Amino acid sequence: MELYKLDLYEASKGIKDRKFSAQELFESCRERIDSCEGKINAFITRTDNAEPITENPYGIFAGVPTVLKDNLCTNGIRTTAASRILGNWKPPYDATAWKYLREAGAVLMGKVNMDEFAMGNTCGNSAFGPTHNPNDISRIPGGSSGGSAAAVSAGYVPFSLGSDTGGSIRQPASYCGVYGMKPTYGMVSRYGLISYGSSLDQIGPFARTIRDIQLVMSVLAQYDPMDSSCFREKNPDFTHHEDASIKGKRIALVKEFQNFTLDAPIAEAMKKTQKVLEENGAIITEVSLPVVSKYAVACYYALAMSEAHTNLERYDGVRYGYTVNDAAGIKEMFERVRSYGFGSEVKSRIIAGTCLTEPSRCDEYYVAATKVRTLIAQEFIRAFGECDFILQPVTPSLPHKIGEEDEDAMKGYETDLYTLPVNLAGLPGLSFFTGYDDSTKLPVGLQLIGPRWSDSEILNAGMILERHLGSPKIADGGVK
Amino acid sequence: MKLSREEVNDIALESRLLLTEKELDGAVKYINNFLDILDSFKELDLTNVEPFSFAEALECPLREDKVKAFTNTQGIFNESEHVDGSYFKVPRIMED
Amino acid sequence: MSELTFTPVIGIEIHIRLKTDTKIFCACSTDTDAPANTNICPVCMGLPGSLPRLNHNVVEKGMLAGMALHCTVQPRSLFFRKSYFYPDLPKGHQISQCDLPVVADGYIEVHDAEGKLKKIRVNHLHLEEDAAAMHHSASDGRLEGASTSYVDYNRAGMPLGEIVSEPDISSSAEAVEYAMNLQRRVRYAGASDADLDKGMMRFDANVSLKCSDGRWGRKVEVKNMNSFRALERAIEFEIKRQKKILQSGGEVLQETRHWNDAKGVTSASRVKEFYRKFIVEPDLPPLIVNQEWIDRVTAMMPEMPDVRANRYVHDMGLTQEAADILTDDKATADYFEACVKAGANPVRAANWVRTEVLRVLNETQKKISEFRVKPEVLAEIVRRVDDRKLSTTQAKEVFDYMCANDCVLDDVVKKLGITEGGVAGNALAEIISNVIKANPDVLAEIQSGKDTKGKKFKFLQGLVMKESKGQAKPQEVVEALTAALKK
Ligand SMILES: [Mg+2]
Ligand SMILES: [Zn+2]
Repeated sequence: MELYKLDLYEASKGIKDRKFSAQELFESCRERIDSCEGKINAFITRTDNAEPITENPYGIFAGVPTVLKDNLCTNGIRTTAASRILGNWKPPYDATAWKYLREAGAVLMGKVNMDEFAMGNTCGNSAFGPTHNPNDISRIPGGSSGGSAAAVSAGYVPFSLGSDTGGSIRQPASYCGVYGMKPTYGMVSRYGLISYGSSLDQIGPFARTIRDIQLVMSVLAQYDPMDSSCFREKNPDFTHHEDASIKGKRIALVKEFQNFTLDAPIAEAMKKTQKVLEENGAIITEVSLPVVSKYAVACYYALAMSEAHTNLERYDGVRYGYTVNDAAGIKEMFERVRSYGFGSEVKSRIIAGTCLTEPSRCDEYYVAATKVRTLIAQEFIRAFGECDFILQPVTPSLPHKIGEEDEDAMKGYETDLYTLPVNLAGLPGLSFFTGYDDSTKLPVGLQLIGPRWSDSEILNAGMILERHLGSPKIADGGVK
Repeated sequence: MKLSREEVNDIALESRLLLTEKELDGAVKYINNFLDILDSFKELDLTNVEPFSFAEALECPLREDKVKAFTNTQGIFNESEHVDGSYFKVPRIMED
Repeated sequence: MSELTFTPVIGIEIHIRLKTDTKIFCACSTDTDAPANTNICPVCMGLPGSLPRLNHNVVEKGMLAGMALHCTVQPRSLFFRKSYFYPDLPKGHQISQCDLPVVADGYIEVHDAEGKLKKIRVNHLHLEEDAAAMHHSASDGRLEGASTSYVDYNRAGMPLGEIVSEPDISSSAEAVEYAMNLQRRVRYAGASDADLDKGMMRFDANVSLKCSDGRWGRKVEVKNMNSFRALERAIEFEIKRQKKILQSGGEVLQETRHWNDAKGVTSASRVKEFYRKFIVEPDLPPLIVNQEWIDRVTAMMPEMPDVRANRYVHDMGLTQEAADILTDDKATADYFEACVKAGANPVRAANWVRTEVLRVLNETQKKISEFRVKPEVLAEIVRRVDDRKLSTTQAKEVFDYMCANDCVLDDVVKKLGITEGGVAGNALAEIISNVIKANPDVLAEIQSGKDTKGKKFKFLQGLVMKESKGQAKPQEVVEALTAALKK
């Protein structure tokens, strides 16, 4: 048995029980990466050339390899957010989430691909070229955390971290056939996460089993004073309870979403999953989310871009990243650095964000969007008065082929309708595996969302689903 | 068309972005399309709705006023091509 | 047609550095003497991924400053992002409470042209971060033609309170009094050192003119004043400039102008007006100040200078002038009160402090906290003069000695040959004997009976008094000298 195939729980247990060494696991993963990476292109920076370094041989991740989305700062290791503008920036500090993993003994194999500054859902909008879906290398892995999803799906590492601003964990998880968790906003410290939409961003894990997601969450979900939006009073319990039950839980479908068309494999997965839930004692109900279904997309983009353009104001070439040395004046310097450094999609979003927050338009657009967000959050609170979880698709269709991006950018955004309301309301969402589509052999994922702080309950439900729907397999990574 | 090419270009300049013709075409389309979608907000009565600021009644945590020097300032300096002695330098700015 | 008259309408924005050990959003030191770019970290350098963390003490100092200006603390305030591109702003935006400040609605009193008290309303004080310091000179110190500006990020993230007045000010004199009064009050409150030389207090003024024919000039924002004198001159310049324009039928443009202190003029800012828009700072939840905290800070507030001066006049019998001088600086007033508390007569202690103490501090360029003569000691000196144990001349001699040397009062008295309770008995006899010995010719004249008018006797008496440093009692000197001459 090749060691790279082990999941996080098995790998860490194997090392502790001295069935194999961290070195052997490390080498197995490295070989796996070497054999697939030419086809997948998940990495921006590999750090697996040295010996495996574990900071804590007794930690729960001792010696287990991992990768990080390249918008998480790593001390002394290049961090690019997949943008030319960061050049070869080596942060002088670690993101808290990575620090927690490091302290638990995890070994860093590298920094992985994403859409530039997390703006996109294909992982093709990167200064380092597109990442390919390990299940079918002609297809996108989804994004923006496509590299993190692909790396776990292809068996590079048993788990990875990504970030989710409007679906950037859940959508690639579903496209690549792994589990992906977007935690409650405030559960995981954002310190050291290169911001996109600060009030929407949240770091979360990818893994091939629910138990592994629980393990990573138990390490990530710690209070961090460095992030003022991190909650102090919560002490979530991510223990893996084999006997967890969903008996009597009310699991709702969204009434308004029933009118939208879904590709056949996804519609089938919805039916199959409802059946499993009912067989395990859950009650399928319906909730209504009229404002969410109609206004969430507009609201999300208005806020994400308003925040993003201010988050991206700092890239001026003075203190770090790409720069020019022969500018005649400061304005010219900033213009040249930013015009060359940012990709087109990022530029469009910066301009859109600037436009929305101009004094003349601010009330009409930005302020209106903050009010719509209040309505959306309230609508979810009402809905969760009537149900425990909501079951819904992650996307209406399976991953498309690379290069077949929709011409109309805004139409692409509408496919985010199932994921981004979760970020607007700061809710937790789990993207889970339901099986493979018969004709395309592509994995099909769905989503379970719950009220704020219900992360561990969602994972309990996810565990039951995994038991009945099966766990995903490692994708062949185009090796076959 | 809500915003003209000139207006979009002006906004780009405010954001310190020089666009190619192609980028400008893209941005004009992108923004006007976007603003059309945002016009849907007008269907909602938002007069008595509070702007959303944080997901819960969250208070700003306060840090104790105690000096803790950052130990890796060299790591900051190493990343800039504009270090001159102990200063960062930029093209001259005329003050008045 | 009657002569046109113009009424200046002036509002002032004052930035003060709040007195804390660390910056507003990170744990870097606020030490202004640190070498360039040593107090920096990912947060104040605006590195990707860094997040702000609000300093408790910044809020508290902001509350103290606000209370010193009769403001009300707001239970809920919020931070915003104020965008502009400039290399002194590491994030490309400033985090500022501009739209929803922590304290609001106060006032400061100034004297108007007729000398009557007038309230200048303070709209609010908001918390914000300072920008980095820029030096626009070549590395060899050359200013003209230098092609490079240098950035020192030590100042980036220093805590500021921006105090915005209503446009209630009508002259440069009122503006200066407003600013000085504000400085005194925030210093009293311990909220800021407001040291102008260290850039801890900076002024911007909004100046417009209202014309008697009903025309209103547009608001001109004048920036870059770093001293009271600059504030005064900039406003006067601007009033004159705008008046000229309006008199000739022209129109005053709404613009931002820079004060050039060396040239004594304002000029239109060459930098395009910063384009400003605010979004809520998504990395900082609302700042909540509860009543308990407000109560605690209220209890910390010291008596303000005007209240204190009133008390000195009414309870201690000081003149208004003396009271104003003593209360100008809190440490001086505290020193004076400590003297009084230690038993000194208030009026005489006040005289000592405002003349002698302030003179020595001025001569030696020292702060009262470093002053050698502690208030209890000065009180003792004042008391001894009252008890005639020291003459005024001796007291000043003792005081001067103690200002220059580390020592205790009694030792100084001894060292300067001053005997407690006057010079009498043997000590007096010794002085007389020495005086007589030193003047044998005068002695001979007296003994030969030539001193019929007593002039020579008075001469010796004066010498004895001088030798005793004015401490001997005249009657005793006459008696002892008469006896000695008879020997
Ligand atoms: Mg300000
Ligand atoms: Zn700092």
